[in-house]
Amino acid sequence: MDFIRRLFGLQSSETPHSSPPPAPEEIEPDSIKETQPLAQPELPVVHTRRLTPPKPYSSPNRRVKFGTASDIGGRGNNEDAALSLISNTEVTGDPPPIGIFMVADGMGGHQNGEFASSITVRTVAQAVIREIVIPQLEERDMNSADQKTIPEVLAEAMSAANTAVQLEVPGGGTTATCAVVRDDLAYIAHVGDSRAYLIVDGNLELITRDHLLVRRLQELGQLTAQEADVHPQRNVLYRAIGQSDLLEVDAATRRLPPSSRLLLCSDGLWGVIGDEKISEIVARYPDPQEACDELIAAANADNGPDNITVVLVQMPD
Amino acid sequence: MGQPSDTRHIEGSQGALSVPDGTLQPGQVLQSRYRILGIIGLGGMGAVYQARDLHFPNVTRLCAVKEMINMAQDQKLREQTIRNFEREAEILATLNHPAIPQIYDYFSFGDRAYLVLEFIQGRDLEALLNSTEGFLPTDQIRIWGIEICEVLAYLHNHQPEPIVFRDMKPSNVMIDHHRRVRLIDFGIAKMFQVGQAGTMIGTEGYSPPEQYKGIASPAADIYALGATLHHMLTKRDPRLEPPFSFDQRAIREYNSNVPEAFAAVVMRSLSYDPEQRYASADAMKQSLEASGTTPTVVADAPRAATNAAPVSTPVVSPPPPASSSTRAPADPSTGTPLSSTTPIWAFLSEDAIRSTPIVVDDTVYVGSYDNNLWALDVKDGSLRWKFATEGGIGASPIYNNGTVYIGSSDQRMYAIDARMGRRRWSHKTEGKIFTKPAVSVGTLYFGSDDGKLYALKSTMSSAREAWVYSLMVPIRSSPSVEGDCIFFGSDGGEFVCLELSGEMKWRFQTRRRIMSTPLVTERIVYVGSDDWYLYALDIEQGYPIWRYRTRGAVISSPVFADGKIFFGSADGLIYAVDALSGRDVWKYEVGRPVTSSPAIYHEAVYIGAADGAVYALHTKTGDLLWRFQSQGSILSSPCVVNDVVYIGSDDRNLYALQA
Repeated sequence: MDFIRRLFGLQSSETPHSSPPPAPEEIEPDSIKETQPLAQPELPVVHTRRLTPPKPYSSPNRRVKFGTASDIGGRGNNEDAALSLISNTEVTGDPPPIGIFMVADGMGGHQNGEFASSITVRTVAQAVIREIVIPQLEERDMNSADQKTIPEVLAEAMSAANTAVQLEVPGGGTTATCAVVRDDLAYIAHVGDSRAYLIVDGNLELITRDHLLVRRLQELGQLTAQEADVHPQRNVLYRAIGQSDLLEVDAATRRLPPSSRLLLCSDGLWGVIGDEKISEIVARYPDPQEACDELIAAANADNGPDNITVVLVQMPD
Repeated sequence: MGQPSDTRHIEGSQGALSVPDGTLQPGQVLQSRYRILGIIGLGGMGAVYQARDLHFPNVTRLCAVKEMINMAQDQKLREQTIRNFEREAEILATLNHPAIPQIYDYFSFGDRAYLVLEFIQGRDLEALLNSTEGFLPTDQIRIWGIEICEVLAYLHNHQPEPIVFRDMKPSNVMIDHHRRVRLIDFGIAKMFQVGQAGTMIGTEGYSPPEQYKGIASPAADIYALGATLHHMLTKRDPRLEPPFSFDQRAIREYNSNVPEAFAAVVMRSLSYDPEQRYASADAMKQSLEASGTTPTVVADAPRAATNAAPVSTPVVSPPPPASSSTRAPADPSTGTPLSSTTPIWAFLSEDAIRSTPIVVDDTVYVGSYDNNLWALDVKDGSLRWKFATEGGIGASPIYNNGTVYIGSSDQRMYAIDARMGRRRWSHKTEGKIFTKPAVSVGTLYFGSDDGKLYALKSTMSSAREAWVYSLMVPIRSSPSVEGDCIFFGSDGGEFVCLELSGEMKWRFQTRRRIMSTPLVTERIVYVGSDDWYLYALDIEQGYPIWRYRTRGAVISSPVFADGKIFFGSADGLIYAVDALSGRDVWKYEVGRPVTSSPAIYHEAVYIGAADGAVYALHTKTGDLLWRFQSQGSILSSPCVVNDVVYIGSDDRNLYALQA
């Protein structure tokens, strides 16, 4: 038990060392600082900068669209949280559209689950808005080593959410599956057993990996799929936000082809209706919001015992 | 112990953050005997206190008081909770082993029950591990392992029922003032709160797979001891790794101090199948005793987790001269040329070869700091012709339509007849030329130390400047042309995308000089910078998609194969990262700077390094396929054609090696 350890740590006559040794110091290239305010990019002698011509907005389907829905399902309270946001701008410089999409499934007694998932969604979205969306709107130079990349922002944000949940919701935890879409690239950060699917031409591809104990046991041949389905610990995660000081976050990046869809959902959806039905419903409803509503309805119709949350991103044709 | 109890809380530090109502205050006295000194920790069911035993007023006798507050509403559950707590007390009371803390007292009143235990001064293994730089002495860990086996054997042989400890992990093993092992936290062992709806969390890492089927046997303790020892030896915390992945972390890969035999004992105890583990703690103890070697006193710094596996390879004799103009490698008798491949031939020029060769038909072309562009027969390295410039050649040639183009530090770009070695034209710049030109639709693009990127309209006999783009700082990053755009970097750290007309499309600012040649694939531009990063930039707008941080300048030019990007760094590593996400695939440790650029051929990556070796690594795993040792640093990059690797060395040779 950790607190017994603390007892002995405190009472030990040896010098207490409760914290791990400091990280090895990284030696920066020594001249980075000197060269930092690098010679302002010297203007080309002969040529002047040309404004990129605006892209033609021919089709109303050129834009990214999304639908989202969350339902309490067969539980007493909704511990899921979701967020979706798209910044589409038609301004000089033609910044690429950016979308933030997120699903989190909280857990823990009382209201801990709700708090943990909410804090996580808020923390991550704030970071992406602060570090990526706002700088772009401020016309800050995005093409600079001083600008963080989206994978870096996401990794830091998930870590910040982990700390926030540990501090503010002791005993709570949450999954988090987040996709930032810029142009046609989806940057995904993921912990837990919520899922991200890429749907191209009706084919459903699972992008994320469930951090479920039974999945791991299946991989090791210790459990069959049937045993895993009825295992008393089938809902146990081995990785979640808010559970350990050091959080490892899965990251993936995918190109989203025209007309493809990106689906984020909690296990209240995929654990109840399965991939085939998800695929079928998404194909049947061209409007992403209708598709989301139908997915929820289908999970409820199958007596889903858990909260159900979906976010469906629809790429332009 | 060995039985689920309701005293489980989610482990972690969060419990100590708020002190609930009803916690005993310092100074309070229980049973007129135990004066509370302070809280050690809080759990889901109550607190653990440090207390002083007042029956010994003249000396300070400390004890640990463990509290259980029964908050269960349901009567049955209340009774069950109390029974569990009492059971822990009873079992502890029957045990008599120096590694098991003594129980002094047990009492309850109202909703609260208390266990009074021996207070152990010392530190637990987790704290010891965390506060130790480098590794703990291997033999000390082995001795603790033997002591833990002894106490486990005592528990497992308990009559009438064996006792399974169930929660073996570093934080449950104390090392007392006599450096002896003590087990703590009996009876709290329980894996998860079973029966709760919805998703739950389990922080595991030391427990065996079968424990998730509800099986707790002595073999589970043996696995958990193996996991504990593995953590101690490798400093890799299993709670941060995928469950049951010890077999993917060979102990000696992390800590070469550990004798093979000791590592083998630990790995056997970690078998998935309980039958494959030691049949008893006694059997494991005997193996641990047999696995000892001379105690290792000095702890080594942890080694980087890489696939590095320098192999000792047979010494080879220098290649026989294949023809009169092909000479043996420079001074092959000195040093220790270690190699697992024999050159097909080697050609000795008069100075370092840092240029990257090209092969066209049956001729290999390469520049040398001896001022010459050499044209050699691919079969035996015999001389076809040489073309002398007026300065050393560090740049690499390209071939287009019967012409070889090469820049020289005499400030000129040359167009040379590929068959005869005669000059077609040359073009003077104001600086040395170290870039390899790119050619597209009759136009040649290259950078010069005069700070300009040149676009030359080239014919068989002449060249004229179509346009010049000036950056004012030397350009040593060779341009890449892809579609309608030219990509290159500069010594000012600026990375530029120009249209073929010479107009700037976008730029990206890194923090230091760019020497690397950009790679364009799948609408992403990849380039290294001396600021230690490899960048992946959007081809249309130049914003970063990801960047990968190494610990040295990335002068090496990235290459793409099979969804991965390969490159070297001055930090001494060769990297393979996922092309879209920038996540690690593998690393290979050379130990000396890698500024050479990789070449991919079939399933292998070929690359040179400053240690003078050429490495062939498997693209999927980074495993070493072979290594060839030259007598000088290798800054040249390989060119692989028809199963032959051509590469230059600072030992002045151009080598032809079997791929």
